[in-house]
Amino acid sequence: MLINRRRTLGLIGAAAAGSLILPYRLRAQGARRSITISVQKITNNNTLDIWYEQSNVGERAFFPNLWEGLIDRDWMGNQGPVPALATEWKRLDDQTIELKLRQGVKFHNGDEMTAEDVVFSFSDERVFAGTEPVGGKTLYAENFKPQSAKELPASVPGVGRRLWPALRGVEAVDKYTVRFHNATPDVTLEGRLYAYGSQITSKRAWDEAATYADWARQPITTGPYKVEEYRPEVSLVLVAHDEYWGGRPPLQSIRFVEVPEVASRVNGLLSGEYDFACDLPPDQIPTVQEAPGLEVQSSTIWNHRISVFNTQNEIVANPLVRRAMTHAIDRQAIVDALWAGQTKIPAGIQFESYAASDMFIDGWTVPEYNPELARDLLKQANYKGDAIPYFLLNNYYTNQTATGQVLTEMWQQAGLNIEIQMKENWDQIFAGQGERGVRDWSASNNINDPITPMVTQFGPNGQSQQYKEWTNEELNKLSVVLETSTDHATRKKAYARMLEIAEREDPVYTLLHQNAVFTGMKSELKWKAAPAFAMDFRAGNWHI
Amino acid sequence: MLNFILSRMARAVMTLVMVMSFAFIVMRLSGDPATILLGPDAPQDAIDAFRARWGLDDPLWKQYLAYIAQIFTFDFGISMRDQMPALDIVLERIPATLAITLPAMILKLGIGIPAGVYAALHRESIADRGVITLSIFGFTIPSFVLALVLVLIFSVQLGWLPSGGQDSWQHAILPIVTLSVGGIGIMARFSRSAMIEVLGQPYIRTAMAKGLSWRDVVWKHALPNASVPIVTLVGFMVGALIAGAAVVESIFSWPGVGRLIVSSVANRDLAVVQCLLLVIASSMVAANLLVDIAYGLLDPRLRSKRSAH
Repeated sequence: MLINRRRTLGLIGAAAAGSLILPYRLRAQGARRSITISVQKITNNNTLDIWYEQSNVGERAFFPNLWEGLIDRDWMGNQGPVPALATEWKRLDDQTIELKLRQGVKFHNGDEMTAEDVVFSFSDERVFAGTEPVGGKTLYAENFKPQSAKELPASVPGVGRRLWPALRGVEAVDKYTVRFHNATPDVTLEGRLYAYGSQITSKRAWDEAATYADWARQPITTGPYKVEEYRPEVSLVLVAHDEYWGGRPPLQSIRFVEVPEVASRVNGLLSGEYDFACDLPPDQIPTVQEAPGLEVQSSTIWNHRISVFNTQNEIVANPLVRRAMTHAIDRQAIVDALWAGQTKIPAGIQFESYAASDMFIDGWTVPEYNPELARDLLKQANYKGDAIPYFLLNNYYTNQTATGQVLTEMWQQAGLNIEIQMKENWDQIFAGQGERGVRDWSASNNINDPITPMVTQFGPNGQSQQYKEWTNEELNKLSVVLETSTDHATRKKAYARMLEIAEREDPVYTLLHQNAVFTGMKSELKWKAAPAFAMDFRAGNWHI
Repeated sequence: MLNFILSRMARAVMTLVMVMSFAFIVMRLSGDPATILLGPDAPQDAIDAFRARWGLDDPLWKQYLAYIAQIFTFDFGISMRDQMPALDIVLERIPATLAITLPAMILKLGIGIPAGVYAALHRESIADRGVITLSIFGFTIPSFVLALVLVLIFSVQLGWLPSGGQDSWQHAILPIVTLSVGGIGIMARFSRSAMIEVLGQPYIRTAMAKGLSWRDVVWKHALPNASVPIVTLVGFMVGALIAGAAVVESIFSWPGVGRLIVSSVANRDLAVVQCLLLVIASSMVAANLLVDIAYGLLDPRLRSKRSAH
């Protein structure tokens, strides 16, 4: 064939026309887009098991694309409960809830989801490993005997019992009806059903997997996307599950790639290789926003950054010193300087989503920034300027080190002598029990009820009291009320009082700000970030 | 020669035992894997169960003896994080690392040695100064800076090459270039120095005086003698083939041994870290052993000295 100028121009023209026409043809044939998302970590534990991988990064990979519960969190709405694999539920009494399963739901292996799968998903074999519920005995134990030689990760039963401390068992009433039996009265059973961990897996897929590791790298669930390939620390490819009960998913595939370096994630987004770049630190926001065709979406998440006091330190033992520390912090300055104003200071350790169950305490705020008051409180405490050690990890949390340095400066402005001691890991943080005065932590909302984090983190069995950092008799009594009372007004009153104790009178922590995540993306995608780590790629949130 | 190799192998085994013992002690004293792996929010029940499952609540001496007994049966344990055999996890990563470190090694040798030899043979010329300048640039620029500059130019600006990942052969180009630049510079400078030193030796003058051609002088007398110190350097580079790319692997999201080291140490995944260290230490020891053998092959005087001993 003779290649001359005319023919060459003709070929170029044909190619150009083809490139314009082809997308329309593909669209007409129902072809769907595939996307690539770069993340710092896909999972921490290299599995896709919701009970083992209980992390923020896990939430992003799992929800709502892979795992689904009987009840789901309304990711793009008010974060309250919405029907998912159950269409309706009702209380039989204050210890029992009955749910009607959605019929015709198909697992990724083609099986229909039935009550047997739900029972299995809350069984000893899958989660509890023979641990007894608080205040009762396990029901239907014979149903939960392991049928294969799989060994659960050692942490799973403990994590399961944290979310379901008093669950006696799940009863299959018929093929499409289940009952959850609790040993104690609990108003938060519905909240626990849409918490991270309470999602449903196929019993047959579990039985057929040779080992736990095999199953946990390709769990069979009901979500709109199924696992095609998971290479730990490399990539996770989810592909459309076309038999999804909620309709055909809008994307052909979602590929998460693990890119540990933030500069590499940003470069990959700028070069067009990635459609999304997650886990951007606030200082990278301008770089992405100024690039043509890109934008940054911010999401405040169900997690607040706090600093926790240790009353085993004899100076910090004085509540006046702790109160002084809470009033010496200009939280808005931290948000403006380190977070580019892209997150907010919540109303104490509350989450706005508590409003879904009318448990949000209106009018409550963090302690006011008042250095004068702080100085006065220190004077009352007869504080002599002795050093208070501040145990600090190197950016375990976003901006942690910089925030620690800012806090130290602010505390010093009020007359406190705070001494930063850098630590390498959590074990070293907890090792200095008598010496440590303050440390960092975060507080998470797990069941969308004030029990989390107030009771789970600061109550009698919370980590703070278990490590003997702090205790308060009245708060411990109120914790029991909040956990067991079924009277709404009593619970709300108890919670309001707990806020007063834990944040003002006898502070156990001081709240800094709500945590936020930043996602760089191609503007053409018109996708919206949920107020969560989770990334919703269902039909309702995909418009091209 | 056999005695020499056997004595070196005995030393190698001792080195490995020391490395493993050191790693065992340091990893256990620097943090509890249960707290690190399960995070600050883990319930105490879960932490206790984790410790019991992995024997972390046993006395340190008991854990050590169990560990040594395992090693001698080639059982490297199960990853606390992945619930899979540690050796499988490590072996899975080695090919990926070698896919970039071996080509980089070839470039280091293939470009660095000829450039250094050429510069030595044309001392004080423009070419010599050019080689010196480029080699200084090569080994002084940190690999993470070079990597980001290359990505900015070839991925972000020109769009010619991918910025990270392992999906195709094109993905390997920038990591290989980044890994090789510093080594080429070092190898060029080292080869140049070694050649200049050899070219000043009396036996070179003797060879020229007895009428050998310049080519024969260089190939038969200068290069073999200059290669002894170069082989030492090559030995170090061979030893670093498995573990020497951690930074580059992180920047280019290359799923090799280097990234596994970082993540397993950060998570105190004891079995994987210990298995990695054993593999890395073995490769270092093997490289040193090969270098020692190569000395004997390259320099007959060293062979005769060993025989005399």
